[in-house]
Amino acid sequence: MKNIVNTLLLLVVFSVESFAQEKGSVFIQNATLITITDGIIQNGDVLIIDGVITGIGTDLNVPLGVKVVNASGKYVMPGIIDAHSHLNTVSTNEARNPVTAEVTMEESINPNSVSIYRAIAGGVTSIHLMHGSANVIGGQGETLKLRYGVSQDEMRFVDAKRTIKFALGENPTRVHGQGNGIQPRTRMGVEQIIRSHFDEALDYRARREAYLETKKVYEGNRRGRRVPPVPVAKNLRYDVLNDIIDGEILVHCHSYRADEILMLMRVFNDYGIKNYTFQHANEAFKVAPEIAKNGAYTSVFADWWAYKFEVYYSTAYNATILNENGVTNSINSDSNELIRHLNHEAAKTVRYGKTSEADALKMITINPAMQLGIDKMVGSLEIGKHGDIAIWNGHPLSIYSKVQQTYIDGKKYFDLFTDPADMRIAVDSDDFYREWGFNTFIQGREEDACMSDVFELIQQ
Amino acid sequence: MKSKKWKVVLALLLIGSLTVQAQITDKPNFGKIAIVDATIHTVTEGTIQNGVIRLDGEKIEYVGTDRSNISDEYYIIQASGKHVYPGFMDSGTSLGLVEVSAVAVTVDNREIGNMNSNMLAFTAFNPNSVSIPVTRVSGVTHVITAPQGGLVSGQAALMDLWGYSPDSMAIDVTAGMVLNWPSIRSRGRGARNLEQAEKRYKETIKNLNKWLDNARFYQQMMSEYEADASGKVKPEKNQQLQSMRELVEGKTPLIIAVSSEKDILNAIEWASHEDNISLNIVFAGVEEGWRVAEQIAKAGIPCLVSTLYTPIRPYDHIHRPYENPSVLMKAGVKVAIMTGEVENVRNLPFNAGYAAAYGMGTVEAIKAVTINPAEIFGVSNLLGSLEEGKQANLFISSGDPFEPLSQIEHVFIKGYQIPMDSRHTQLFEEFLDRDATQE
Amino acid sequence: MKINKTFIGIVSFITMLIAWIQMPLLAQEVPAHAITNVMVHMADGSVIENTDIVWRNGIIEQVGVNEFIPFDAFVIDGGDSLHVYPGLIDGMATWGSPDIPRDLPRLENPGKPPYDRAGAQPDRIPAHYLNEDKAFEDAMRAGFTLVSLGLDGQMLPGHIQPFNLSAPKLTQAHAFSDPLALQGSFDTAPGGWGSGAYPSTQMGVMAYFRQLMYDASALQEHMMYFEMHSDMTQPEQNDVLEALFPLVNKEYPLFFEVDSKEEIERLFRLQDEFGFEVVLVSAKEASALSEELKTRNIAVLASLDFTEMPDWLEEEIKETEANDQEINVSNDDDANNKDVEKTAPTEEELVFRSKQKQAWEEEINNVASLVKAGIPTGFTSDGMSPKEIQKKINLVTEHTSLTKSDLIELMTVQNANILGISNRVGTIKEGNSAHLILTDGPLFEKGTKIHIQVSQGVINDFMEN
Repeated sequence: MKNIVNTLLLLVVFSVESFAQEKGSVFIQNATLITITDGIIQNGDVLIIDGVITGIGTDLNVPLGVKVVNASGKYVMPGIIDAHSHLNTVSTNEARNPVTAEVTMEESINPNSVSIYRAIAGGVTSIHLMHGSANVIGGQGETLKLRYGVSQDEMRFVDAKRTIKFALGENPTRVHGQGNGIQPRTRMGVEQIIRSHFDEALDYRARREAYLETKKVYEGNRRGRRVPPVPVAKNLRYDVLNDIIDGEILVHCHSYRADEILMLMRVFNDYGIKNYTFQHANEAFKVAPEIAKNGAYTSVFADWWAYKFEVYYSTAYNATILNENGVTNSINSDSNELIRHLNHEAAKTVRYGKTSEADALKMITINPAMQLGIDKMVGSLEIGKHGDIAIWNGHPLSIYSKVQQTYIDGKKYFDLFTDPADMRIAVDSDDFYREWGFNTFIQGREEDACMSDVFELIQQ
Repeated sequence: MKSKKWKVVLALLLIGSLTVQAQITDKPNFGKIAIVDATIHTVTEGTIQNGVIRLDGEKIEYVGTDRSNISDEYYIIQASGKHVYPGFMDSGTSLGLVEVSAVAVTVDNREIGNMNSNMLAFTAFNPNSVSIPVTRVSGVTHVITAPQGGLVSGQAALMDLWGYSPDSMAIDVTAGMVLNWPSIRSRGRGARNLEQAEKRYKETIKNLNKWLDNARFYQQMMSEYEADASGKVKPEKNQQLQSMRELVEGKTPLIIAVSSEKDILNAIEWASHEDNISLNIVFAGVEEGWRVAEQIAKAGIPCLVSTLYTPIRPYDHIHRPYENPSVLMKAGVKVAIMTGEVENVRNLPFNAGYAAAYGMGTVEAIKAVTINPAEIFGVSNLLGSLEEGKQANLFISSGDPFEPLSQIEHVFIKGYQIPMDSRHTQLFEEFLDRDATQE
Repeated sequence: MKINKTFIGIVSFITMLIAWIQMPLLAQEVPAHAITNVMVHMADGSVIENTDIVWRNGIIEQVGVNEFIPFDAFVIDGGDSLHVYPGLIDGMATWGSPDIPRDLPRLENPGKPPYDRAGAQPDRIPAHYLNEDKAFEDAMRAGFTLVSLGLDGQMLPGHIQPFNLSAPKLTQAHAFSDPLALQGSFDTAPGGWGSGAYPSTQMGVMAYFRQLMYDASALQEHMMYFEMHSDMTQPEQNDVLEALFPLVNKEYPLFFEVDSKEEIERLFRLQDEFGFEVVLVSAKEASALSEELKTRNIAVLASLDFTEMPDWLEEEIKETEANDQEINVSNDDDANNKDVEKTAPTEEELVFRSKQKQAWEEEINNVASLVKAGIPTGFTSDGMSPKEIQKKINLVTEHTSLTKSDLIELMTVQNANILGISNRVGTIKEGNSAHLILTDGPLFEKGTKIHIQVSQGVINDFMEN
């Protein structure tokens, strides 16, 4: 009986989870197919049925009732995946404590931001919406599909792995140490914050399990003669930290310097944590062999450097060095501007170090998919994978190429020729049209986008 | 396996530098140099296939197809299949003024004060900035480096990117006075807020006009005194006004940083006022220039613009930033492309590439980073094209320099064939195969 | 002793009598009151003419035509032309609340702030924090006889407690009942960067809220165990967590101030996890989730604090009206000058305008849509001054399907239902508390004045001056 109830409960949960997502079917014909994992197919066709790729090849039969897109002379590539984005957050940093594992970007999604549309127009179909880098252990991330126009819940990439943001170096030491006079003020402190919280989490788990066990015994003993346990409250923060230790959550760690990258690998080895990604990692190239040995991933900027001290001794050849040393690397944006042309950011790995074009494209498709635990579903043109693709009018690594259409789950979300200019969803009834005023000349940057909201706060 | 493969590559790199690049591993090559068999993009005089460029010291001696005058003295660079372009010029940067933006003590582009006409970017330009070699190996050979902040930030300098002192690198110490246009920024909705904003604006303009009036008066007074000092008491020198003498004469451009539609229109109106007609005005930023391109063209004001920013208004079309330069150009505005960057000025070709791809076309976009800025800043006799007698500023590319897939192979700045290394390449060479040992 | 008591009784009766004679119609305490010959507006919108209403000790004794008026009743004659409505109820306001303290001291560890600095003060009860507030009298003058008060605060500002608006200066004695709900919002910890604390974001508020609920349920369990086993470790005293027990036990609704669709959806997550009853407060985008609200049986205390009509739209309407009336303004110099300045909107601006108009219409239609969808909908002033209510009512009745009598229903019987006090207020019937207003015309119509406001039987006359 109990099992039946459980099954029913599961069914209910399942039906809530698999909310009605709009999926489409489309047949794209005669294009140059960049499959990513299986080379390039000339004059190729892609068939997407109900959101899933069901056919790839040449001279496929045109199925009845499916919309046909003639893409001769065009390139078809899987949708770009950005492993580091704050594209449409409500807020990015819960910056008031060095550890905030309990917060989640799942509860900080703004589905109405026009930035989403602008990213799709650059051929991006999925992003990793991340917490900022103010905290040593920040909030959990949420992988999104950029289905522009749906609810926040429907934007979620169902079945993506859970993720969490860590951050080392200048940002957490500046916010908490320099800003509030609490640990960590140094990279020494950063390490100890991580270790002590993992230890506390393990202790909590032991206490909580002991309590639950005693409670069971106590409540089973109807006479109530035994002494009941002192309740140990469920602790959201420690639960998440334990999930990290248990391998249920992938760590994406904002880091720059080589020494701090090594530090985290030592700590993670001590706690048995695997499958993590170093984000930004401007000095990862200096310890590429160690990263490769630990099976860790990297996700880097194509060329950002020198805007702050911990990226001063870095190089635009970072991605190439990592790639050549066998590290699975992705190129990310961390920027609502760069995300508009990640294809071009990937192309820079060819300029800086002559990475092959094929590998350059992997860095914005299958590699970030691996880092987010969605590589079985997206990141390449393969039968059975999701119909998340973009049609380009030229080779995606050329600066002259433009995205013409972007599909997610086989449904078209961007069309260069038919979309109107104003694609806002949420319009403020209090908005004004003419009263704009600003000027820019030299902009530069002082910070990664990870921290923009913290600085706004500080400046208030 | 992996390390072996890279040993081979490194060995090839070394061999390469021993032969073709033998003379530029540490020191630049300089003197008589001939580049042959190249596709030469002169910018002002078309494209020459299988062309020849001869350099003699700082100058371009010859551009054409005639190989007969290449004597044995010449160091020859065989460039068949390669492309030669004039060095690119970025019309808006703070290169050399800022080393690490987040480290305040390394930031020298923003002085305290509101009317800083006497501040010279030239003075703070660090010729040894790590960002300079990183920039020049990308084919960007010249930059306008500009101060920021206040109403009048100070004077921007036009610098080339080869040398060990600002003096040897300056093309123009006072290339332009930077004025941040007082924007009408409403602090909220409604007519009253707007009224207040307009009041603030008028106040600022009044101060600006007064400041210029003082400068005009000072210029006139000093000119009269300098022409004939006899019987006159020497006027007291005023640093700030002294620094504006060339500005009010129209010799130094006034670079107005202005972006939004309404502000641009206000700036045009101000520029068209009879008092200001003698000023040599250039607009910078101009993100909403496409909205008022006709008016800018009519006023004859050149524009310094970039392309890699997000659309300004939430309802703007996604490609507006990319199309802005071409809309301006087609309306008849002289356009130069800039980055607005500090450490990533090397992205100038990509900024221009977006302009090229979105309506400007490659030929015009090349002009926007060569001859156009040279003309705007009055140095087209020296820079901006491959012509005999001009300074030898050029680079050799494996293909279209706007394409990230192309490689920039050689760069010449005032005749010096510069070493193609920078911190970025050095770290690459050190760490590509980090644990390799000498064989 | 006995004589003394009687004597005192007689003296006070005489005093009262004198007071009654000297200051008629002002906050009196007499055996009975009656309003006669009035048009009584019933909950269903129907009107009964020539009706008398009698109340005593704050309770309505009789409602009807040609009722017998008790000999001791002080009678106000409506003279057939005055209207009586049930007293208006404000579903939630924070009038009289202490201000959120400014210049908070910097915290040593902002990551682990005291509860109040985190914004969690569910133990606060409005009756203990009543300050003077001009809004009370303004509300009385606007026809409100009852307000359920919350407190200014953040995530959990305190309890919600209804008060009789029977005097411009409220005290604990004016409480209509005990607190009946907890108040909540997604507001972050106070203090900005300098002295702020965790949680500083909405996602932080959600996590912090959850942790409070976990801690509260553990404490409750501990207290329960301790009651049976005094030999075990004693539980800590914690007013904040104890105040959350009714929420943990789903005995108490959470009145949650929230506007955007996305934030309401986030509130649903919390509701799914903890199962408590929710009432939305303000809820400007709630109609976008009508179906879900219905499924969840969630009531809404809606705000009428709409954005003003966009300037251009107002002008457009004015112009159309002017054209319709064929008023020739071309001779007016001012108008001429304006026309010269005005440039025709671009195509882009027209698109902008059509989207803005749509957004504005959606906003203003929120309440009508909720009512139409069958969501229990009441009214909250929620930060809006009572003086502005008439203006907003005009706006909403002019631009949506809602009528003034619909709005009266929201402000009376619907609010009473949502607050769970419909057995006492919201309608005029025998046995209910005497919450009435006497007007000289239909309520909310132009020119209609409120003559008398009766809250819990206490009469306030506003025609005095």
